[in-house]
Amino acid sequence: MAEPAPPDRRPIVRGVVTVLLLVAIGGALVVPIYARSRPKLGDFPFFYWYQLAWVPVAAIACGLCYILLRTRPARVDASTDGGGVEQ
Amino acid sequence: MSHVNAVSFTILAVSFLGVTLIGFAAARWRPAEDPMQLNEWGLGGRGFGTFISWFLLGGDLYTAYTFIAVPALVYATGAAGFYALSYTIMVFPIVFLFGPRLWSVARAQGYVTPGEFVRGRYGSQGLGLAVTLTGILATMPYIALQLVGIESVLAVMGVGTSSGNVFVANLPLVIAFVILAAYTYLAGLRAPALIAFVKDAFIYVTVIVAIIYIPSRLGGWAHIFGAASAHLKTVNPATGKPFGSLVVLPSGEWAYATLALGSALALFIYPHAVTGVLAARRRDVIRRNAAMLPAYTLVLGLIALLGYMARATPAVNAGVAAGGGNAQLSVPLLFQHLFPSWMAGIGYSAIVIGALVPAAIMSIAAANLFTRNIYKEFFRPHATPAQETRVAQLASLVMKVGALGFALELNRTFSINLQLLGGIWILQTFPAVVISLYTRWFHRFALIIGWAVGMAYGTIEAYRTPGGGQQHFGASTAPVFGHTTYIAITAVLVNLVVAVGLTLIFRAVRLRDGYDATRPADYSADAAPAVAPVTRGTVSAAP
Repeated sequence: MAEPAPPDRRPIVRGVVTVLLLVAIGGALVVPIYARSRPKLGDFPFFYWYQLAWVPVAAIACGLCYILLRTRPARVDASTDGGGVEQ
Repeated sequence: MSHVNAVSFTILAVSFLGVTLIGFAAARWRPAEDPMQLNEWGLGGRGFGTFISWFLLGGDLYTAYTFIAVPALVYATGAAGFYALSYTIMVFPIVFLFGPRLWSVARAQGYVTPGEFVRGRYGSQGLGLAVTLTGILATMPYIALQLVGIESVLAVMGVGTSSGNVFVANLPLVIAFVILAAYTYLAGLRAPALIAFVKDAFIYVTVIVAIIYIPSRLGGWAHIFGAASAHLKTVNPATGKPFGSLVVLPSGEWAYATLALGSALALFIYPHAVTGVLAARRRDVIRRNAAMLPAYTLVLGLIALLGYMARATPAVNAGVAAGGGNAQLSVPLLFQHLFPSWMAGIGYSAIVIGALVPAAIMSIAAANLFTRNIYKEFFRPHATPAQETRVAQLASLVMKVGALGFALELNRTFSINLQLLGGIWILQTFPAVVISLYTRWFHRFALIIGWAVGMAYGTIEAYRTPGGGQQHFGASTAPVFGHTTYIAITAVLVNLVVAVGLTLIFRAVRLRDGYDATRPADYSADAAPAVAPVTRGTVSAAP
């Protein structure tokens, strides 16, 4: 089969992707982080502006994960180990 | 509300007509060599790139019901309704993880539905049927609720006749649905994919205008949040407690988090979401979309805020009260009272077209399920691709007629109850559909029994939950060990515990397991590159 990416770099990529996705999910899942009204942004209580602001944060996290997985020859080594890089 | 505003009505009628033309024209869009393949009708030829998939999935997942029901919930209960925002934030990192694997195995094995994957993975007709029936059962009321979305717009516009016959009284709705059924029948998934562009244009325009223009008319955000807060603090005479709160209270945090998580886990195993994912051209399309689809989440968050704007508008409160306290009218009423009539027409169009796209995709997804997992599996194992496609086309018609019957004959509360149940039910297929993408450890019979226990537990718990003036199916959360929890989450945990326990037992007694038709490499397969020269080594899934 085709050559895989350098093996010492793959666990790092995998770890970073896992952390990024967990942070993206956790920032919305852990409600006590944002179940408060201060500090306000303009007239918006924290509860509202935090969640709206977390939308692009989670999107950027997914985008970074996409780039991390893409810039390696991901599809090639995915086929050699029988699993995607992130799984 | 008895006289119809001519300007709003004309705009709605013209946009509906335009969408109809696009729907029929879609049959000739990206034409297939052989259109009588289920891949073509039911998945648009599996050829949608990042751009089209973004519109298709966005148009698919963010339904008209969401646009009506989320602000209605915020209008009625405040912060608790914002769980929908938290849920649509979480859903994309989650689909980033498992979406590509599901896409790959479906591509490699030619699966069109989640039921087929489960059937192939476990060599179990029964498990495939369980997943299929759950999917169809959960989708039907979801289609019906798209009609409820259209209905609330027509009601506010005053369109409709005062006949005693429900079909005559709802003639505009029936006509809209018949036209939708016709072009879905002809063009398959290409119709909603093309219409999704129009839907999104209307929705983005409406939301951006609403979020800038309405607060300026209402005296700013301080006034909007103030009016909402004042209402939410007042005591609801029915319950003796305040209506809600502007920020989730500590006692409500667990319910908020479990509702968001359960909904996020469930969203991408709904058949219509799977259809959208499988229609992608390449594996990377799904990951790229996980990063780009949150644009719709932002829109959903802004739409949720419309609930507070409606609360701050006395005319809307009067209209909702006149409509029997139906909070679902709050957004259409907000458009009616605060927008000039031409802009209200655009807003109404956004909701109506927003209902057509998901309704079409849902009926296609359910038709695919019926065709591959019931017709082909149990009645015609040797059906030709053309026969399959014909059956799916007819099944999509049946689905729509069924949903129409649902929406018109049964009362609206019943549809909403069923949709609430649908969310609980669909999550019970999570172990079979999603966990199986990673491991084949579970025994097929353990999964079936776990599913059955989860379904029964969830249904009974939901039935026993009073709320909102109803004795049964009053809410989707119920207390577990003192914490108010989304029933779907409790049920799926029960489901998993049963499945794990029974798998251990079945393995110990060496109960015969099914044959796994998938290979490890299937889960990371990708399509052959479309432009070969620039793409680095790519593994083709095709044999």
